[in-house]
Amino acid sequence: MDFAQFLQNLLNGLSIGSVYAIFALGYTLIFSILGIINFAHGAIFALGAYLTFTLAVGEFGINGILKNVDLFPGVEGGSPIGFPLALLLGSLLAGLLGVLIERFAFRPLRARGADPLLALVSSLGVALVLVNLIQLLVGAEIYSFPSTIYGSLPPAVRFDVGDTPIVIRTVQVIIFVVSLVILLLLGYVIGRTKIGKALRAVAENPATASLLGISVDRYILITFFLSGFLGGLAGTLVSTSFGISGPYFGVTYGLKGLAVIVLGGLGSIPGAVVGGLVIGLAEAFVPAQFSAYKEAVAFAILFVILLVRPQGLLGRAVIQKV
Amino acid sequence: MKRATLLAVTLGLFSFTVAQKVATPIEIGVAVAQTSNVALLGQEQVIGARLAEKFFNNQGGINGTPIKLVFQDTGGDEAGAINAFQNLIRDGVVGIVGPTLSQHAFAADPIAERAKVPVLGPSNTAKGIPQIGDFIARVSAPVAVVAPNAVKQALKLDPDIKRVAVLYAQNDAFSVSETGTFQETAKAQKLDVVTVQKFQTTDTDFTTQVTAVLGAKVDLVIISGLAADGGNLVKQLRQLGYKGLIIGGNGLNTSNIFSVCGRDCDGILIAQAYSPQQSGAINQVFVKEYRAQYKKDPPQFAAQAYTGVQVFVEALRKIDRKKKLNTWDLDDLRAELNKAILVGSYRTPLGVISFDKEGELNQKEFYVAQIKMKDARNGSFVFLK
Repeated sequence: MDFAQFLQNLLNGLSIGSVYAIFALGYTLIFSILGIINFAHGAIFALGAYLTFTLAVGEFGINGILKNVDLFPGVEGGSPIGFPLALLLGSLLAGLLGVLIERFAFRPLRARGADPLLALVSSLGVALVLVNLIQLLVGAEIYSFPSTIYGSLPPAVRFDVGDTPIVIRTVQVIIFVVSLVILLLLGYVIGRTKIGKALRAVAENPATASLLGISVDRYILITFFLSGFLGGLAGTLVSTSFGISGPYFGVTYGLKGLAVIVLGGLGSIPGAVVGGLVIGLAEAFVPAQFSAYKEAVAFAILFVILLVRPQGLLGRAVIQKV
Repeated sequence: MKRATLLAVTLGLFSFTVAQKVATPIEIGVAVAQTSNVALLGQEQVIGARLAEKFFNNQGGINGTPIKLVFQDTGGDEAGAINAFQNLIRDGVVGIVGPTLSQHAFAADPIAERAKVPVLGPSNTAKGIPQIGDFIARVSAPVAVVAPNAVKQALKLDPDIKRVAVLYAQNDAFSVSETGTFQETAKAQKLDVVTVQKFQTTDTDFTTQVTAVLGAKVDLVIISGLAADGGNLVKQLRQLGYKGLIIGGNGLNTSNIFSVCGRDCDGILIAQAYSPQQSGAINQVFVKEYRAQYKKDPPQFAAQAYTGVQVFVEALRKIDRKKKLNTWDLDDLRAELNKAILVGSYRTPLGVISFDKEGELNQKEFYVAQIKMKDARNGSFVFLK
């Protein structure tokens, strides 16, 4: 592999890896607070994309309850609010959905002191309901954001390394930049603000945090909101590049997100970022003739790393007293 | 209590021994994927079947007796398809249009075969479907017949094509079979297949494959996949600088692809078993009705489901003219219907079709269409001579 090829793969890997990272952060936040995996996260990822599509384009296909509905008739290029605001609102709505899921699928079980496995099954049920609800409303068609959502930017960015052209799609660059900004913002919120400190306290020990006057339930809600926001944002970013391939399009990302957090270390926020980038880069560097197996390669790397470091790349080893 | 139970059991057994009469309206089963990730195709088939039901009932149904379609969702797996078939057979339908996918057909068709219920596959194009049994036929032309036309058309448009890249979804049985046909056709046309790239139908990022294709400096790209992955692949090929001709396989033969690759869909060549421009009267009625409701041309999957219902209706009409349908025992009618289907010839939206004795489709008209995009989301398949 020459340097140009290396650079091309690196850029591709960073772009998709950064999306994996923000998506997996949603998983990690909830795991670090409650010690459970929210299986509805993949469905929120899909729903976030659909919500943004509704706000930005609002034109539906020929199946489902909303068939042939055009929310913004006569408006050239979709809605009058523009894509950036639609992205923000769609992600916020996905965050609110996260709050609802906590309120109705997790909290009742937590209040009864139910086994964490029940919460996992409950979230799986929520995921299936959401996916089927999407199909009921808008059918199984593929929805895509128009190529004009990022203005009149060229479809690809080109530059030469020596005499080899490196080409990267503009949308990949945008995804990477937006993801990076979100990761830095989240890092600041969790590391430097009062909310972040409270969240870390709840994650460390909910009982002690409660004794210190922190409303644990409130911060759990905030965690679910942030998780939903990140999931919805990741879903929209991915769909601007690849389209929304149907109600089930969050499933693959859901599984990959799980791999990312296990690789990075369960409950570790920096681990989710590193894990996402590692999986994205691993996929990008799979040689072309084996590219159909890139997911298998990514999971094989996960397996090997876990053999060497069972706690994941940045996870903490559990020390048991004997 | 014991007596009541005994009586119920006896009655139940008795009901199985009494021959079931044909119910009116005449019920035809439609078992396609209305949920799961296969619903993208199944939904189109539901629309086609419903339009056929409406059209033929407006014509008087089966010589005055209306038909009623009974829908069962197969979901996205073999178990769902088997379940749907069993339910329809138990409900007493005279025949079944379905399932959506060939792999579902291999699982569910034997159920119908054992129950001696005629099945018409609306979109099962894999090798070996009619050979599942005597009661299994299809209205979907096998891929080996359809695909080569696109390569020949590409050579008509650009006789200088020499180097070809082939890409296919390796996790989809249909795409694997189709790419084999494409590669054989390319070699038969003296073209040089310089790179073969695989992907998965669940893939979204094709940068690796596209980079390899661009590096191979090809004049033609042939893609066998489904609408979402195929459309994304086209988009990424175009955005990263590929300017040559692109051929799409049958999985890309749906207007759903327009929203995936947008303006980048422009110019894709697709071999089709159906064209909205087919000049037959029934096709023009179907197209008009479809356009009126959905503001676009009907896709192949809708047309084939329509055809499946039509074949059942026309075969039933023939039987009814000899002996009224409501006087038949259900089992006898199903057997007679199967015979009638195989000997008939039908003017359908697909053109004139008939069947051989195994249930394989004989279809005369095939098409190559080129996608022409009107704007970023709307386009059409333009029929090429």
